[in-house]
Amino acid sequence: MNDKILIALKSIGKNKNRNFLTMLGIIIGIASVICILAIGDGFAHTVTKGMGSHNVRNKVIIEYQAMTDYNADDGFTPNDASVLAEIPGVDHVKLSSSVAEAGAKVQYKTKHASIGLNKQPKHLKLIKGSYFTMTGDSNGAYISENLAKQLFKKNAINRLITINGTVFVVQGIYGSGGIEYRPEVYVSKTLFKELFASQISKDEAKLYVQPNANKKQIGKTAVKKMKKMGEEKHAATYKVSHPDQVSKQFTKILNDITYFIAFIAGISLLIAGIGVMNVMYITVSERRKEIGIRRAFGATSADIRNQFLIESVILCVIGGLIGILLGYILVAIINAFLPFKAVITTYALILSLSVSTAVGLIFGYIPSNKAAKSELVGLLKEE
Amino acid sequence: MLKVTNVGKTYGKFTALEDINLEVNDGEFLAIMGPSGSGKSTLINILGLLDQSYTGEYLLQGKNHKEVSDNRLSQIRGDQLGFVFQNFKLLTTYSVYENIEIPLVYSKKEQRNKRELVEDVIEKVGLKGKEKNLPSELSGGQQQRVAIARAIVNHPNLIIADEPTGALDSKTSKEIMDIFTKLNQDGTTVIMVTHDSEVAEYAMRTVYIRDGRLYDDEKSVKK
Ligand SMILES: Nc1ncnc2c1ncn2[C@@H]1O[C@H](COP(=O)(O)OP(=O)(O)OP(=O)(O)O)[C@@H](O)[C@H]1O
Ligand SMILES: [Mg+2]
Repeated sequence: MNDKILIALKSIGKNKNRNFLTMLGIIIGIASVICILAIGDGFAHTVTKGMGSHNVRNKVIIEYQAMTDYNADDGFTPNDASVLAEIPGVDHVKLSSSVAEAGAKVQYKTKHASIGLNKQPKHLKLIKGSYFTMTGDSNGAYISENLAKQLFKKNAINRLITINGTVFVVQGIYGSGGIEYRPEVYVSKTLFKELFASQISKDEAKLYVQPNANKKQIGKTAVKKMKKMGEEKHAATYKVSHPDQVSKQFTKILNDITYFIAFIAGISLLIAGIGVMNVMYITVSERRKEIGIRRAFGATSADIRNQFLIESVILCVIGGLIGILLGYILVAIINAFLPFKAVITTYALILSLSVSTAVGLIFGYIPSNKAAKSELVGLLKEE
Repeated sequence: MLKVTNVGKTYGKFTALEDINLEVNDGEFLAIMGPSGSGKSTLINILGLLDQSYTGEYLLQGKNHKEVSDNRLSQIRGDQLGFVFQNFKLLTTYSVYENIEIPLVYSKKEQRNKRELVEDVIEKVGLKGKEKNLPSELSGGQQQRVAIARAIVNHPNLIIADEPTGALDSKTSKEIMDIFTKLNQDGTTVIMVTHDSEVAEYAMRTVYIRDGRLYDDEKSVKK
């Protein structure tokens, strides 16, 4: 085998220019293959890493979108969950909340407001009052500047307000403008847990689907069912959530690019293949004398066919290796522009070399076979 | 060694060989003479199992090879026959060593060290020191020696040589013929085509061919 590869290398080396031109198609084709796979693998890697263990593959998420701002009763109810669990293909359903904020009603004398409410954060910059971490069942409350304006004419500090029937003392006011979103009221951690946490609206239903289930269909059915039978349907609408919507759009662009490069790869490999075939035909007809001599000294027609096939494959594999090298360079360049890192995997390398080998075998076969089947006496007349 | 009975060969309407009868014994040195175009190469191509499309019967070592598979024919050519072609037929991009090595690449014979075999025959034909040279760097006589070395590296029982001295001067021809004589003395059967009656002198027996017909003596050709 070794000497056969040497023979092939030697004969390829004899026509470097011609063979390099033939390899160009393979080089471009394989470099494209490397780029496509690197981008695809890099992207897949980023997406799965970003999702951690919560991969979205096995679930459909239905969103509850309230029409009013805050209503503690809104969302999916346990009954809704059992309805959703009945949909064919759904394994089990979990209700959860997209926000950690409870809806509540606040009252000061005759004034009411619907608010969002949460447990107090570690630090909060106040406009008025002093901030400290409330312990135990301390009934202090920090309210937003907006809410203060809504409820009180002047001073708000130390006033008593009722939130869902429980009395709280206003301890301070914080600015609600700025970039960061803040709920209208913060209360102590203990009271929040005790009084409000259960009322955080379950605005997400996660439908864990069975393997191979049609997620699109399940999503549609679930939304339809909820619109008809959802216990809180009067106050809201339902829709399928696409947690990866941004990346989906990105995926589409990426797919378009991938298809484009794949198209280039396919075309170059096809042209490369035809080039290989052409150059192998030329080689075979140039070397009729050699074929005759080898046949006269014991080479079988299979030996001859293999010799030219090996040559054609080696030509393509060399092209493939150069293509891989070019692929590495291109991927490095692409990485400067991509928001994630394209990676060249071992699988991509193996595939590239397999494709090169396949091109060599497929397009080298007919010329090699022609060499093998030539009539011996005719071959020996060649000079 | 071989027996030819009523062998004929046509190219379309043209009859290249007609009613050839010939027997060659083991250890013989036979010269085939005849004018250009008379059918000498056509005949030895059949004898060397290079051409299977003929009529009549040809037995090599008592065996008819017409129905033998192509692969087996290749093997017999590689292991039992040795060819020296008209105009050397060396691979111009291969060194002397690599040219001589060719039959060993395909041989299925139990071989001792291939390198030794090649070096042996290089010594035998007097090309020591030229192993790495290309054929283009050799004289015509040296190229023919390479061709002979290639033909005998596998120790064939039958050497078939087509005009081995056709392109050489008489002094070089004599040296080449000495090699053949030596090989024949060592037991190898030799069949050689030549134009040159001086060269034919080296053979034990000469047959003549004209217009595709074989004669046993020169007079019958000339008449
Ligand atoms: N492939 C072919 N098709 C048609 N005719 C052929 C073919 N090969 C050989 N011939 C004819 O057969 C005849 C014998 O050819 P051959 O090569 O055997 O001659 P030769 O005796 O070896 O001549 P030379 O001494 O010049 O080598 C010639 O007349 C040649 O024209
Ligand atoms: Mg001839």
